[in-house]
Amino acid sequence: MRLQAALSLLALCVPSTLAIYPDEVNHIDFHHALLGLPSSQSTFFLKPSSASNASLLYTLSEKSILGAVNPRDGSLVWRQNVSRSLLPDSAAAGGGLLRASDGINAVVSATGDYVSSWSALDGKLIWENWFSDEGSVADLELLELEDASAAGTFRDTIALVNAGEAGVVKRIDGQTGDVKWEYKDDSGDVPFQVSSSPTEVFYISLQSALLKGYKIKATSLDPITGKQTYQQTLNSENDVTGPDSIVFVGANTAAPISVWTDKARKVLKINVIGTKQVSTINIDNNGEEIKSIKVHAPKNLNSLPHFLVGYETESSSWAEVYHTDMKLGTVTKAYELPRVQERSVFATSNRDANVYFTRITESETTVVSSASHGVLGRWALKNPSTEQALHAVSEVVDRGDTVAVRSAALLASGDWQLIRNGQTEWTRHEGLTGASAAAWAETDEQEELVHQLEVEGHESLYGAYVHRVKRHIKDLEYLPEWLKELPKRILTSILTDEVSNLDSFGISKPVIIATENGRVFALDSGNHGAVSWSVKAVETDAWNVKAIITQPGIATVYADDGSSVTLKVSSGEIVGRTAPSSKVHSIAVINNATPVPVSIKEDGTPVETIDGSGFLVTRSADGKVLGWSSKDNKIPVWEFIPPQGQKIIRATSRPAHDPVASIGKVLGDRSVLYKYLNPNLALITAVGENSASFYLLDAISGTALHSSTQDNVDTTQPIASTISENWFAYSFFGDTADQSDAKGYQLVISELYESFIPNDRGPLNSATNYSTLHDIDALAPPHVVSQSFIIPEPISHMAVTQTRQGITTRQLLCTLPSSNSIVGIPRQILDPRRPVNRDPSSTEVEEGLFKYNPVLEFDGRWFLTHSRDVAGINNVLVRDTLLESTGLVIAFGGDVYGTRVMPSQAFDVLGKGFSKIQLVLTVVALGIGVTVLAPIVRKKQINTIWKAGS
Amino acid sequence: MHFSITSIPSVLLLATTAICSSLTITIPPSNLLPNPNVLPAGTHATLTTLPSSSQDQATRNAFLTAPLTRSATFVFRNLQPSTPAQPASYLLDIRSAEYVFAPYRVDVAADGKVLGVWETFRGNPWDNRGAEKFNAVDAAAKKDVTVEAKLLARRGFYEQRSKFSPLSLVKNPMILLALVAMAFMFGMPKLMENMDPEMRAEFEKQSRSSPISGGARSAMSGGGSPGNFDLAGWMAGTAPGPMAGAEAAAQGAATGRESGVARRRG
Repeated sequence: MRLQAALSLLALCVPSTLAIYPDEVNHIDFHHALLGLPSSQSTFFLKPSSASNASLLYTLSEKSILGAVNPRDGSLVWRQNVSRSLLPDSAAAGGGLLRASDGINAVVSATGDYVSSWSALDGKLIWENWFSDEGSVADLELLELEDASAAGTFRDTIALVNAGEAGVVKRIDGQTGDVKWEYKDDSGDVPFQVSSSPTEVFYISLQSALLKGYKIKATSLDPITGKQTYQQTLNSENDVTGPDSIVFVGANTAAPISVWTDKARKVLKINVIGTKQVSTINIDNNGEEIKSIKVHAPKNLNSLPHFLVGYETESSSWAEVYHTDMKLGTVTKAYELPRVQERSVFATSNRDANVYFTRITESETTVVSSASHGVLGRWALKNPSTEQALHAVSEVVDRGDTVAVRSAALLASGDWQLIRNGQTEWTRHEGLTGASAAAWAETDEQEELVHQLEVEGHESLYGAYVHRVKRHIKDLEYLPEWLKELPKRILTSILTDEVSNLDSFGISKPVIIATENGRVFALDSGNHGAVSWSVKAVETDAWNVKAIITQPGIATVYADDGSSVTLKVSSGEIVGRTAPSSKVHSIAVINNATPVPVSIKEDGTPVETIDGSGFLVTRSADGKVLGWSSKDNKIPVWEFIPPQGQKIIRATSRPAHDPVASIGKVLGDRSVLYKYLNPNLALITAVGENSASFYLLDAISGTALHSSTQDNVDTTQPIASTISENWFAYSFFGDTADQSDAKGYQLVISELYESFIPNDRGPLNSATNYSTLHDIDALAPPHVVSQSFIIPEPISHMAVTQTRQGITTRQLLCTLPSSNSIVGIPRQILDPRRPVNRDPSSTEVEEGLFKYNPVLEFDGRWFLTHSRDVAGINNVLVRDTLLESTGLVIAFGGDVYGTRVMPSQAFDVLGKGFSKIQLVLTVVALGIGVTVLAPIVRKKQINTIWKAGS
Repeated sequence: MHFSITSIPSVLLLATTAICSSLTITIPPSNLLPNPNVLPAGTHATLTTLPSSSQDQATRNAFLTAPLTRSATFVFRNLQPSTPAQPASYLLDIRSAEYVFAPYRVDVAADGKVLGVWETFRGNPWDNRGAEKFNAVDAAAKKDVTVEAKLLARRGFYEQRSKFSPLSLVKNPMILLALVAMAFMFGMPKLMENMDPEMRAEFEKQSRSSPISGGARSAMSGGGSPGNFDLAGWMAGTAPGPMAGAEAAAQGAATGRESGVARRRG
């Protein structure tokens, strides 16, 4: 206790300058800036500027995030979330579209009814438009007119809007986003795609045939006026059963084609759009069932009219290259890429008129020209991935007689890899987006030692001694290695900035992250958040993980269907599974010696009972909060039902690790305000029509200790809350009832004390123990002090930093979704006892209180994420380390961001500012000084004695 | 009567043209931000108010965002009339982690037309409006409203680490003291040598009677009070302090008048 007091004094003495030093960036923190899985149709290399030859990699991901990646190092250049559709089910509509044109500094995207154009170099908006009255955008094409002079720096966009029964083709101005003309097709056909050639715009729709199937109808429109010029209907009803049957509709090539296949995938039919002719090609499938057919054609206007058809069966893959005769409108087979017994992905790229096809198999990359079958380049993959590639884009550079190729391939693991001439240049772990749960894990390195110590504990005194000596002798085998390492360690510790390797203080901890698509990742927080392993835990795309519970060496992931997967922390090996049982609403953990998970059903009842003491607070789907004894899962101990019209949206409790260093708060006059420290507090958030209520409950008895209701709250905006120690905080958007109120986001902080009189412990007085159930006195509610601040931004999630002993001051970690950052607000600032409307008295100054200001501007130094753009965070986890000064933070949801927090500065470690060289130099200088001065002083002393004697 | 009949269609016409009014916020170059084009692509502006109905919530009419455009502006294209039609009073914020902009109040009429834009102050009453940026009375015919954003501050995220420099070492008072002491140590004998013999004799006489040199001498000779000084006793208040002898000597050396002054002051 005394040591703690001394340490807390020490912590207070240290000035709390909190900001990160520029040289600590990327050292104490890491950031995976993610886009989401790139979609195959909306990913490409593009030269954004006609002046420069440099190209960027653009994608519109499945999470509707549009971004540009630097192909050199895989860093994110810019990104925008384009999920701004006004349609209610735009997420379900899915499948965003992205189009661009080489040399034009613009990319055009469409998601739902929202079409927007962005500057390709820096990601700033050019124009945006909504077609919410009509429907969602089905296809998008950039209009490339042959006379480039007409549109030098921008291209108009042709959009096809699927307005329910009708298809509307619009030409959108490339500078303003206004609609130039529109063509409405009321015939009841299924709007399918648009395609354009230099002279005309084609609107492809599916006309339902008389009996079954669809006829492909191509309507030619004049690009200038939007008037229909002619229509062409193909008798495809025997083959085409729906939009899925059509393999490809040529985009923007000199001769756009449409390709479809029959149900059995026996024949391929190709038609040059605008002509009547249909070429039929028999597919040679060698008796195997064709799994997929993909057509790859160049998108540029001036490239050769060649295209590649890739086939894939269960075990093999091959491709055929076809040439289109533009005059005759026929298609002829040029050559074939050999059949191999592995999967391959194909990509097209073009350089001027030349078209190149890149083939990436599991073992090698090959490049061929579209004109002839000669292999221009072949590279064996240096480190072949075990995961198969799903799709790829590539860029071929022609260097006279040789070629160089770089391809960005999306692997099944969710990794996005750039392979340059067979070598992996970088990997982006896009699979980490959509993390639904995470947990800190412990490695089992210490497990062996723990086991040995256990053995010793169970043996006789003599046996244990012998065992120990043996163990130490065995440890000696590591000595030569250690000695060999020693000089290097000393040298590096002097030369490098890192003062000491803090890994042994629990700074480096693995983080287990489970994502929606059924994968589990392990990140090494000590090694820049590098992915240690990732495994596919379940075969699903909607894995709703409720909790991850870790024990040393293993981590167990619990999903909402009642199933669980247990993995080894070190390797990711799956060591156990349980089958799905009943639907689980949430997972509670009872922490005795080992954590025991308890599944909670939708109605709030625990699935199983646990022996031993314990209690649970659960939320039921019908808006009640229930308290349970862990022995009984039939009848709840208490029920909390909010007032009529209110719905419970959130319940939080104090963190499992929440040590309190001091039970009271020492005031300026040396009296003490005792904190109300109830370990069983629950903070319930309930929302009404336009109000938010916060209830503080005692979780054992269900008694409401405190409640507050805020009116004129926007309940659609995030309402965050947290509780720790003897205080809780929440934030919301509050509007004005009348004009004399303030409008804006508010942050409310409340502290709980046993009594409002200093040195008084209220009715509890000095009782050593009490029961909230049996003692009448104990029901005395706490004394609550609150203050509210107007903050500039919404807060979507709140957490509180943790340290080992709780001596270090805490920070309130707030996720700011609108500026994509996380701030740590020091608790001293958020002190509800700050004097209002007056300057603090001398005793209050001594306490560290200063005058209340209703506006709380976020100081730049509070930003844990400093200048990083950390987007999409929906959860923040904190963790203590062996160092009292330091806590760990990991934020996930969209991006993954991890850092260390030192709310009272690093008072127990030597930081980078501590210069060892300076220390050594000072000692050396002092040594030299002593050796120089010693003889002089001695001589002088002798002289003085002699002189005094004379 | 005749007049009123003709006026009704014209009012309707006005209402329909005003429905799609837009609000543009420009960022002027300033001292803190000389080139507004350097703002990151994530910068955006928001209009926030309390949704008046559940339909408003569905159309997100209460929370509008506008991304940064190429010309460093924010354009709210679709200021639609709310349902049911009633005027709204929005809080306009510009969201950027690094730059802090002043919040504005934007009043929008029931037909989606901007009525006025004023500066507002956080934590102040909503009717406490600051400088007026736009007022529909002044520019009734204007359909597209343009206002300038006001940059307040730039956040500094980083702490500057003090760099090692020899100058800062010299500035350290401890080092300065040591240097002065060194200068005396080496300089004094030189000075003494350069003095004429009479002065030196006088100086030596004075320094012999001076208490410190007396103490120092006794220390040098390996005896005297500081050597036998009992620290524990002194701290306990039972033994005399280390300078007790020196104080006595000082009192002895001081003239009567000076000591008298000292006594009076004490």
